[in-house]
Amino acid sequence: MEHKNFEVMTGNKACAWGVKLSRVQVASIYPVTPQTTIGEYIAEFIAKGELNCELVNAEGELSTQAIVKAASRVGARTFVCTSGPGQLYMHHPMHGTSSGRLPVVMATVHRGNKGMQPDHTDLMSQLWTGWIQWYCENNQEVLDSVIMAYRTAEDKRVRLPIAIGYDGYILSYTSEPVEIPDQAMVDEFLPPYEPIPNILPDKWAEAQTRRGAGMMGDFMSGGADPQAAWRIHHEAILNSKGVIKEVNEEFGKRFGRKYGNGLVEEYRTDDAEAVIVAMGTIASTARVAIDRMRSEGKPVGLVKLKTFVPFPTEDFQELGKRTRAIGMIDRNVCLGLGGAGFGELRRALYDLEERPRILGFYAGLAGAEVRVRDIEKMAEKTLKAARGEKVEPIIEWAKLGGGE
Amino acid sequence: MIEIRLHGRGGQGAVTANEILAEAAYYEGKYAQAIPMYGTERRGAPVTAFLRLDEVRVRERDLVHNPDIVVVLDPAIAQRPSILEGLKAGGLVIANYPHPPERFPLGGNFRVTTVDATAIALETLKRPITNTAILGAFSKVTGLVKVESIEKAILHRFPGTLGEMNVKAVRMAFERTPAPIQAVGGVKEKDEEGPLSGSGYGLIRSAAGWRTFRPVWNYEKCTGCRICWIFCPDNAIGWGEERPTVDYRKCKGCGICVNECPTKAVEFKREEI
Ligand code: SF4
Ligand code: SF4
Repeated sequence: MEHKNFEVMTGNKACAWGVKLSRVQVASIYPVTPQTTIGEYIAEFIAKGELNCELVNAEGELSTQAIVKAASRVGARTFVCTSGPGQLYMHHPMHGTSSGRLPVVMATVHRGNKGMQPDHTDLMSQLWTGWIQWYCENNQEVLDSVIMAYRTAEDKRVRLPIAIGYDGYILSYTSEPVEIPDQAMVDEFLPPYEPIPNILPDKWAEAQTRRGAGMMGDFMSGGADPQAAWRIHHEAILNSKGVIKEVNEEFGKRFGRKYGNGLVEEYRTDDAEAVIVAMGTIASTARVAIDRMRSEGKPVGLVKLKTFVPFPTEDFQELGKRTRAIGMIDRNVCLGLGGAGFGELRRALYDLEERPRILGFYAGLAGAEVRVRDIEKMAEKTLKAARGEKVEPIIEWAKLGGGE
Repeated sequence: MIEIRLHGRGGQGAVTANEILAEAAYYEGKYAQAIPMYGTERRGAPVTAFLRLDEVRVRERDLVHNPDIVVVLDPAIAQRPSILEGLKAGGLVIANYPHPPERFPLGGNFRVTTVDATAIALETLKRPITNTAILGAFSKVTGLVKVESIEKAILHRFPGTLGEMNVKAVRMAFERTPAPIQAVGGVKEKDEEGPLSGSGYGLIRSAAGWRTFRPVWNYEKCTGCRICWIFCPDNAIGWGEERPTVDYRKCKGCGICVNECPTKAVEFKREEI
């Protein structure tokens, strides 16, 4: 292994290193397992004089979010982090941060809502809050993502908060070598935050208070459109895809590592008849499953879904044209509706003239262990579907950890 | 890829040992992935940790199910057949155990070596924290990580006197660990620790095996003040006929009673294995 400035560290330490290298000025953190040690590492950096940051202790996550929102508003680069129940408690002010178009970066160390163990339901519960969402597969990606997130969030074409999700325990407390980028190189990549003093359209407040004012015409042309706040926010997220890709490319050029195209990463999808889609650490384990199956001559591939919001619709449509079946692995379930990834994927591909079959798998919820052979089984089933065989059910709760 | 599983008890430092090994391996150019397994954090409760060593980045994110090597930090846990679960045929067990490998109680298709890491820890650290000593044994019998790298990783993590004391423990264990032998003991059918009802934790298992030391009462000195009875965190001390009684199945050997007794009526005695 090539030795640059590596250190063996946990995912939470990698996250704290990302915060330090990004020269965050205000952080507010309330402890909740498995996120707690991020705050401890940041406090240590500050105590040693290595980071000039105001770390604000608050009495709960609702306050931590309100604090970084205010700090960001007055021009500070801000960081907040949480897990599971804390994430849910933070929900309301998260809307305010994103509506204010404030470039707050948040780490969500996944902890499910039905126990201490990880799944993606905590961050998926925030899908309606108007934040960009990224998911990471290893500790290096956690560190790199924090730096890339500030560059993306603060870009004047974006101006939106970004949440970086990574699996609790599986990454938060697992140690592995992580390269610590050079501070000078990070400074070059990520210049100081330049706030825009008044970023809300003047008519916005007026529009929000005048029901029916939309009949007077679009607020841009003088009238007030009560829906404008939602439309503009929605379009801003959709339009951030280009910047996300651009930042990822530039990071790759400067640091020698990038994460697919910033939205998705395809792994051995060339000539693949069937593709599975995975997020977070399941995507990491899935690479081993794909390698094993490829060595047996089975044409399967993997798409790692890194950016869930905005959803990489175009990438999947393009993939959909050259694949016969896609198996979506969801580490979440929107109760009564289904897996968020499955729903989005079908939404993205519905309009294709010839669309692939789309299967759904629930796996890894409440920390259920997902092993290589579990993923092989899912990919096998997807390959069968690609070859026109009847597979049932279309959506299944993966039976994990069975015998060899 | 080499896969390793560590068994210990909360407070013995299995998670730290795992991270030190990972760092030491990394110094030698290996990729290392150290995974801790947390349950309810409780001093004395069994803890497991996993380590993968490879030449390239480890992508598997599941736990280790078929270890090549099992490392046991606790002599009572070392006697339990469950430590052998999934161990590869011909695998290796490195155990903190006060007797030579010939007397190791478990048998099967594996090699085993033992070192009295508790004695070494008591000698060097004055506490039964066996995590660093066992790493000396690991280095010696596996050759996977040089003892110098382990020492460097320890000093990186614990600079100063604490680090040096731990380095001493590592060296002592390195010298005292014999070459592994083919395991000769007979595998017992079942683990011995059966369930036991205890207040506060619902149904719990006997904590008897958790002890390095056992509290012993000297009723001549006891004034019946009930302080030990109030302070025992595991409800192991009962009250009968104006004096404290102890249920050794519940006692985990934390030493709080010894510490709190105002008349020094409770004394700690080393458990024998
Ligand atoms: S050592 Fe004393 S205080 Fe601790 S569990 Fe045993 S009886 Fe209770
Ligand atoms: S604390 Fe000491 S003196 Fe008091 S009851 Fe317990 S043993 Fe007796």
